Amino acid sequence: MATSGTGNEPDTDDTGTAVSLQNVRKTYQLGEPVHALDGVSLDITRGSYTAIMGPSGSGKSTLMNLVGCLDTPTEGTVIVDGADVATLDDRERTTLRGTTVGFVFQTFNLMPRLTALENVALPQLFQNVGRGERRERARELLERVGLADRADHLPNELSGGQRQRVALARALVNDPALVLADEPSGNLDTETEADVLDLFAEFHGGGTTMIVVTHERHVAERAERIVHLLDGKLERIEDLGSANASDEADT
Amino acid sequence: MRPTESLRLAWRSIRGHKLRSALTTLGIVIGIAAVIAFVTLGASLQAGIIGDISPDDQRNSYGWAADPDTEGGPLAGAQPVFSQDDLDALNDDEDIDAAYGYMPLSTQALVYEGEISPQSDALVAAGPPYIRENTLEEGRQFEQGEREAVVNPAVAGQFEEDLEVGDELTIALQGGQQTTVTVVGITESSEGLSPFEGFEPSPRVYVPTDPFYTEDAAGAIPGGGGGGDGDGTDENGEANDGGEADENDEGGDGTDENETDTDAPDGPGDALFLAIVVEAESADESDIDRAKESALAYLESDESDASELLGDDLEITLQTSAELLQQLEDVLDLLQNFIVGIAAISLLVGSIGIANIMLVSVTERTREIGIMKAVGAQNREILGLFLAESVILGIVGAILGTLLGLIAGYLGAWYIDLPLVYPYEYVVLAIAVGVLVGIAAGLYPAWRAARTDPIDALRYE
Ligand SMILES: Nc1ncnc2c1ncn2[C@@H]1O[C@H](COP(=O)(O)OP(=O)(O)OP(=O)(O)O)[C@@H](O)[C@H]1O
Ligand SMILES: [Mg+2]
Repeated sequence: MATSGTGNEPDTDDTGTAVSLQNVRKTYQLGEPVHALDGVSLDITRGSYTAIMGPSGSGKSTLMNLVGCLDTPTEGTVIVDGADVATLDDRERTTLRGTTVGFVFQTFNLMPRLTALENVALPQLFQNVGRGERRERARELLERVGLADRADHLPNELSGGQRQRVALARALVNDPALVLADEPSGNLDTETEADVLDLFAEFHGGGTTMIVVTHERHVAERAERIVHLLDGKLERIEDLGSANASDEADT
Repeated sequence: MRPTESLRLAWRSIRGHKLRSALTTLGIVIGIAAVIAFVTLGASLQAGIIGDISPDDQRNSYGWAADPDTEGGPLAGAQPVFSQDDLDALNDDEDIDAAYGYMPLSTQALVYEGEISPQSDALVAAGPPYIRENTLEEGRQFEQGEREAVVNPAVAGQFEEDLEVGDELTIALQGGQQTTVTVVGITESSEGLSPFEGFEPSPRVYVPTDPFYTEDAAGAIPGGGGGGDGDGTDENGEANDGGEADENDEGGDGTDENETDTDAPDGPGDALFLAIVVEAESADESDIDRAKESALAYLESDESDASELLGDDLEITLQTSAELLQQLEDVLDLLQNFIVGIAAISLLVGSIGIANIMLVSVTERTREIGIMKAVGAQNREILGLFLAESVILGIVGAILGTLLGLIAGYLGAWYIDLPLVYPYEYVVLAIAVGVLVGIAAGLYPAWRAARTDPIDALRYE
């Protein structure tokens, strides 16, 4: 299903591809250039579940930022939802971020002066959803991540794991077609981690494309395949078969 | 994002920094308060004084003689120089419809049916035309040479039983002697009939100069200038000392009568008037100018008694009430420009304060801006959010400033006893200025916020 390679494969923009990276390079100029990503090509099929692993500094977050339309590559093309991110203007990219992509940041990035509920409802504020409807939806999502009783807490009144779950709820609030999660389980105890991973599986089962960055093997193994990065390069792709592909889809 | 949502979010972040926001709006508050306070006062002044100028005294010119350096309104520093002979001569002039003397007289009390009401400076002696027909509520003008009087409602209503036309009123003069007059008319308002009296309401009895000034009262208060007849004459009292003709002071004790004979150096026992009123043929500007020119020409010529008394120090001022009021308005305008200037500076400082705080706020919230953009906030939504914040600061400042200014203006108007006038249009204007200041001050910071790059913003510590 998924194709990968280091070459510059021309991608037919078939609707089956959610994300396509072609020879992507991201270089930071700090005295001597730092290649955060150094020629990565990768296709991610719609509705697939991909884990990204690699040592610290290997370019995982950089990759996520590109796919999440927050950043643009120095070279190469990033195609998200059929559109070349580099050719989109700022407004279109923002719309893509708001409607198509749900991003769970490695550092949560919650609004410090908004309550958990308001944080979850925030993306809908920018999609012109009414206040009542927003709150209802946010409450529902908080319930799903097990935080209904913390709806009115500020982020600094929540534990790390709770914050992470608020961030997750926020990423899901607009029903994105693509969910990007950067180390979503880093701060969670085993039990909550399992809950969150179950939630991912549930979304995956509902047709959402999932990309999850993790350091932990057992988290990565919930995905259909694992992409290994090393020093900004694609090291290898590990296919776990379709064993996981449909485990939730049927339920 | 809906505008109401922007306002709600902006209001929250303002409330998150109460003290900071309050201090930020202070410049706007002070600027707006200064303008509103002054406008309230100015409008009240306008209504209290200038609004009262009756259009039917337009053909009157009011004249007095004073040191040209004397500052102040009508009668400031006035010296009595106008003799009855001069007035007669002016009356004969064909450019002049009528000319008569004007003399404020000090009193001790008014007595009606045995009831005594202490009143100082309640008496005004003038010619019959001074009481214009249309200012009379009932009755008629007094006549020259008769012991008649016209009173205003403040006098008429002062006694247990209201004074009516035909009643006898006894006036106790400053000198101690009493004189009884028949009330022949009552005016419709208690405000002054000319700029000489000032315009605020106070009890007054109007009597003919003959016999009340030329005979009776002349003995009592030759110099006149009894301090209380309006704004101008308060200063008059102090400025009086320069004049040769007027040796007695304001306090005017009972023995003054004896000195008076020496007070009229020129005439055959003629009393000198403190001021004159010259009526032109019509309210036409050319007629008024001609009347004024003729009157001045005569009074300054060697033929007149006045010219002898003028000496080197004194100069005759002859102006219509419109001109006199114009001077007052000029002073008001000058003051207004000054206050507006201060307010403009204050508003400028206020805007800079808001702009400064907004820039700080944008920097502080760089990360929040990044988060909002990352979850789908468009540039214009970020712009709107920060603009809303500075506009709210501007409006809050304008509202507080308006309230403060209204309170200050009303207190001021109340203190100097003016009618309160509500300058509604300025309240609206103040809010508009608040909005404009908010937009002007917030535009750059909001634009900075809007063009923040989300990936940089998220990395901002
Ligand atoms: N803004 C930047 N300026 C300069 N260098 C950067 C910047 N962002 C990332 N890098 C560099 O790019 C490389 C990849 O960073 P990235 O954040 O993608 O790593 P990562 O795989 O997510 O690591 P971790 O597992 O620790 O989160 C690193 O060497 C980092 O120093
Ligand atoms: Mg990372």
